Amino acid sequence: METLDIALPRMAMLYGLCLLPWLLLWLTGLRLSRDIGIGILRMSIQLVLVGIYLKALFDLNNPWLNGLWILLMLLVADWSILRRAGLKARYFFLATFMAVASSIIFSTAYLVVLVIQPEHYYDARYIVPLAGMILGNCLQGNVIALERFYYALRKNQLEYETFLMLGATRWEAVRPYYRAAIKAAINPAIASMATMGLVSLPGMMTGQILGGSDPWIAVKYQIAIMICIFTSTVIACIFNLKLSLNIAFDAFDVLRTEMVDKH
Amino acid sequence: MSPIIRFDQVSVSVHEKMLLSDVSFDLFAGEKAVLCGKSGSGKSSVLRTLLGLHPLSGGMVYFQGEPLDPASILTIRNHTAYVGQEPILGAESVREALLLPFGFKAHQSHKPREDQIIEVLRRLHLPADILHQESSRISGGEKQRIALARSLLLGKNLYLLDEVTSALDTASKQAVFDVFSDSSLTVLSVAHDPDWMARCDLVFELEEGRLTKRSGRSGKVSNMQDTGV
Repeated sequence: METLDIALPRMAMLYGLCLLPWLLLWLTGLRLSRDIGIGILRMSIQLVLVGIYLKALFDLNNPWLNGLWILLMLLVADWSILRRAGLKARYFFLATFMAVASSIIFSTAYLVVLVIQPEHYYDARYIVPLAGMILGNCLQGNVIALERFYYALRKNQLEYETFLMLGATRWEAVRPYYRAAIKAAINPAIASMATMGLVSLPGMMTGQILGGSDPWIAVKYQIAIMICIFTSTVIACIFNLKLSLNIAFDAFDVLRTEMVDKH
Repeated sequence: MSPIIRFDQVSVSVHEKMLLSDVSFDLFAGEKAVLCGKSGSGKSSVLRTLLGLHPLSGGMVYFQGEPLDPASILTIRNHTAYVGQEPILGAESVREALLLPFGFKAHQSHKPREDQIIEVLRRLHLPADILHQESSRISGGEKQRIALARSLLLGKNLYLLDEVTSALDTASKQAVFDVFSDSSLTVLSVAHDPDWMARCDLVFELEEGRLTKRSGRSGKVSNMQDTGV
C-alpha cells in the first residue's frame, strides 16, 4: 500500500489553513503575525533540508556516512543539552558526549542488531530514524537531569555542606539531589509509556500506519522504540550525572560555581 | 606538644574578595577559643577554611600537624564537628536528623543506642519526646540544640561552633556551656555573647579578615599589629 503524495497546490492549500488560527489570534488581540510567520517558515525550510539529506543518505546508504550523520546528531545534541541545562560546554562537553553517545549507540545497536535484524545493520532506513528518535527523547531527559541536579545543589548548598561536615563523602552528600534529578528526568518517559495509545496515538506508529505498514507491525515498532527511549534515557542520565560529578567539584568537594553559574 | 589546629599566615580570597589576610594562631587540645569581631570580619571564614570550604590563597592550615590538602580533608572532617548558627537538620523528623550522619559510611559502625541519644538530649535540656517531632516544627533554639546533640553523638574531640547559642534562653545556654566546658573537648567558636567569651581560654578578634587582637584567660592581651604576628 503506497502513501498518497500531497501535490504542491494542495500543500499551498494546507498553508492556507494557518490563516484561520492567525485570524482567531488577531481577533483575540494577540499580534503574533511575525512569530507565526517565522515559525512556519523555519519549520518548512528545516524540514525541506531534512528531506534533502535523508533522501541523499538513504540513496547512498553508506555505513561511514550513516555513522558520520549519527555522530553529527550526537554532537549537536550534546551542545544543546549543556546549553539548556545551563552548564558550560567547555567543561562538560566530553562527559555529556560520552554518556549520551554510549547510551544511544547501545540502545540503537540492541534494537537494530538483535531485535529488528535488517539485512544490513548499517541500513540508513533503520539506524538513522531510530537513533534520531531515541536521541531526541534522551536529550530531554538529560537536560532535566543536569538542570535539576545543579539547581538543587546550588539552592541547597548549605545542606550539601552540612552533609560533608557530618562525614559524608561527596557522593553521599549529593545523593538526595542525584536521586531526585534522575527521577524527574525519567518520569516523562514512564508517564509517556503509561498513557501511550490512551491519550494520543504515538507519532512513530501513526507515521508507519500512514506509510502503509500493518498496524500490528507499527505497534511492535512503537513498543520497541519506547523501551529503547526509556533504557537510553536512564543510562545516559545516570552516566552523565556521575561523570559530571568528577568535573563540577574541586578536590575539597566544593562545587565549582563558575562552571554552573546559570544556577 | 603540637597544636590541633595551626593557622600559619593564612590568606583566603573568594571571587576576588579578601576574606582572611595573614591570619596566624594555634589551638591546642582541650582549649576553648572564640573568634569575635564585626559582621563580615572573617570569623566564619576561619571555620570554613579549616573545613576546606574556602581555598587558600596564601599560608597553610595544619590539622594535628598535617597540612590541609585534598588527601587530609576527609580526616579533618571526620575528626571535627561543625554546627552553624542556623543549622540544617537535613531530615524530616528529629530522630532521622540525629541519626543522619550514621547513615554515612564514616559513622555507620558507631550508631548510638537509644539511651545514649536520650542522655545527650537531656544534657542539652531537650525532652525525649522531641525525637518524634517534625524538624520543620521545632523552634530555632531547639534546632540549634538538636544540631549540637548530633555533633556530640558523633563523639568528636574538636568542635567548630558558629554562634550556636544565638537563639537560646539563659538556661539552655548554660546547659550548652556546661557540655562544652569538658576538658577533653577542643572548641573553636564564633560568638558575640559576652558570657560565652568569658568562658573561653582564648579570644581572637578579627577585623576585615585580619587577626587584630588575641587575649588569653590570664588577661594577657596581644595586639597582633603591634607585635607584627
